[in-house]
Amino acid sequence: MEYILHLFIIIAFYTLLSQSLNFFAGFTRLISLAQAGFYGIGAYTTAILSIHYGLPFWINIVIAMLLNGIIALIISLIIMRTIEDYFIICTLGIQVIIFSIVNNWMPLTNGPIGISGIPSLFFRENSFYNKIFFLILASFFVTIVWLMLKKLSNSGFGNILKAIGEDEIYTQSVGKNVYLSKIISFIISAILTAIPGVLYAHYFSYIDPTSFTITESIFILSIVIIGGLGDFTGSFLAAIFVVLFPEVLRVIGMPNNIAANVRQLIYGVILVAIVMTDKKGIKKPSNKVFTRISKIV
Amino acid sequence: MSFQIIINISITFSLYLIVALSFHLVYVTTKFFHIAHASVISFGAYFTYYFAHNCGLLFLAACVFGVTCAIFIGLFCELLIYKALRRNKASALSLLVVSLGINIVLQNTISIFFGDTTLSFETNKAIQIGIKFFNGYVTIIQVSIIIISLILYIGTTFYLNKTLIGKSIRAVGSNSELCNIYGVNSERIIFIVFFIASALGATAGILLAEDTSMTPAFGFNFLLFGVVSMIIGGIGSNLGLIFGALFVAVIQHMAAYCFDTKWMNATAYLLLILFLIWKPFGFSGHRLRKVEI
Repeated sequence: MEYILHLFIIIAFYTLLSQSLNFFAGFTRLISLAQAGFYGIGAYTTAILSIHYGLPFWINIVIAMLLNGIIALIISLIIMRTIEDYFIICTLGIQVIIFSIVNNWMPLTNGPIGISGIPSLFFRENSFYNKIFFLILASFFVTIVWLMLKKLSNSGFGNILKAIGEDEIYTQSVGKNVYLSKIISFIISAILTAIPGVLYAHYFSYIDPTSFTITESIFILSIVIIGGLGDFTGSFLAAIFVVLFPEVLRVIGMPNNIAANVRQLIYGVILVAIVMTDKKGIKKPSNKVFTRISKIV
Repeated sequence: MSFQIIINISITFSLYLIVALSFHLVYVTTKFFHIAHASVISFGAYFTYYFAHNCGLLFLAACVFGVTCAIFIGLFCELLIYKALRRNKASALSLLVVSLGINIVLQNTISIFFGDTTLSFETNKAIQIGIKFFNGYVTIIQVSIIIISLILYIGTTFYLNKTLIGKSIRAVGSNSELCNIYGVNSERIIFIVFFIASALGATAGILLAEDTSMTPAFGFNFLLFGVVSMIIGGIGSNLGLIFGALFVAVIQHMAAYCFDTKWMNATAYLLLILFLIWKPFGFSGHRLRKVEI
């Protein structure tokens, strides 16, 4: 039972991560591979603040969001000058830089050893109740973020983003500020990514840089693509799928040393299969992508 | 500053040059980022390891078999996946995402068969100090890396500029539809390009693994430095690649010399990002548009 709660919490993390990426990548069609970096910044901010300064969770989450917003602003001023493939390589570069800083700045982040002893949010003694309350908190954030993104994507701003995804130059020619809209959506996406980061740190009470690698970024991106670009419900369903799928492997009795590799291998195959079967590639937003995977799998 | 740093820079430079060359070849002809090339690089090294250690072949013979197998992997990507996507007029972005997916699959295949641990070609030999060269040390392998890389670079550039197929490759890179009209089969040319690029990539992988060691992900990191060199050097000219690779190698080693070796990875990307502020489209300065008017 406790384990099932744990899985639900992980699903909530990945839902938050993939939906916030989807808000940016899904509409503007600019794919960012820096998501795990922002996730890591959120986690490290709260870990450092709560251990060294004893600040409470609610303040940490606000500071982490602000910090992510500022970093995203600086980054986006540079990378929005590039497009498509170059954009992906740039975000990938930013991911590597953030990872290097986290991994190598020993005095602040404790390097590869990681930070342990991050205070748990609820009952420290009783992990079962802790998990229940944590799940409620995480679901609260998922609901808020989901509603907010839904609202934003249906607003005028969301329509500009969709137009950018369809035809950037045309959007510019009808007088919309393409550059600014891209920057704002990138910042919103980064700010929202701080939430799962903060929750992650308090939930596991231990963080180390290996959770925020480029592989993790690609993993989040594949959730977004499996779920369908621009489709928040799809991201949620895909998050459920990628979290629960390894459990099936466990039931089958896959040896532990190759289970992680087999899992990633299967995600890779699904990713290729989705882009291959969708005739217009990932350029076309499709609400039926997920039903299509269920046919493949 | 010792002479050693110059030796180290030239070794890194020659490795980056070959990777950038092979990646660039695919990029100019097909106009997408073939990220799965990283796995071709890793596979070259791992197959060589397999043939040398598990089959007991001579090292050179193992290299030949390793490169051959890696070429098959590269052609497999092209024929099974990219070709179908190109026929459907898929965007460069979806091709990139597909190649990321292929890379995940291939990299994990290596992990399943060889394990995630670090492997090295010479496990029981003593560490070589190398030959003293001015006041630095260089091993035979490192000398051969530099020589082989330069030979491959000059050979490939010569091939592209002088032979008929090489000229066709450049023509397809410039305009593939026009080539088809003039009777150059662009699909066949792209096949040849993947063949050459995979051979070059696998060779680079073997050389790097021979110099240091290998893990299933080493091809990916290695390839990304090649990509950074390519972008900095500017797309479209082989000469630019030399500048790009040299620039990245020098800056990385300077960072290692002035600060610490642990910042080498971050420096390359920082360089890329700073470079894009100054010149968003690389040295060559070709403006890229999302939509053609």
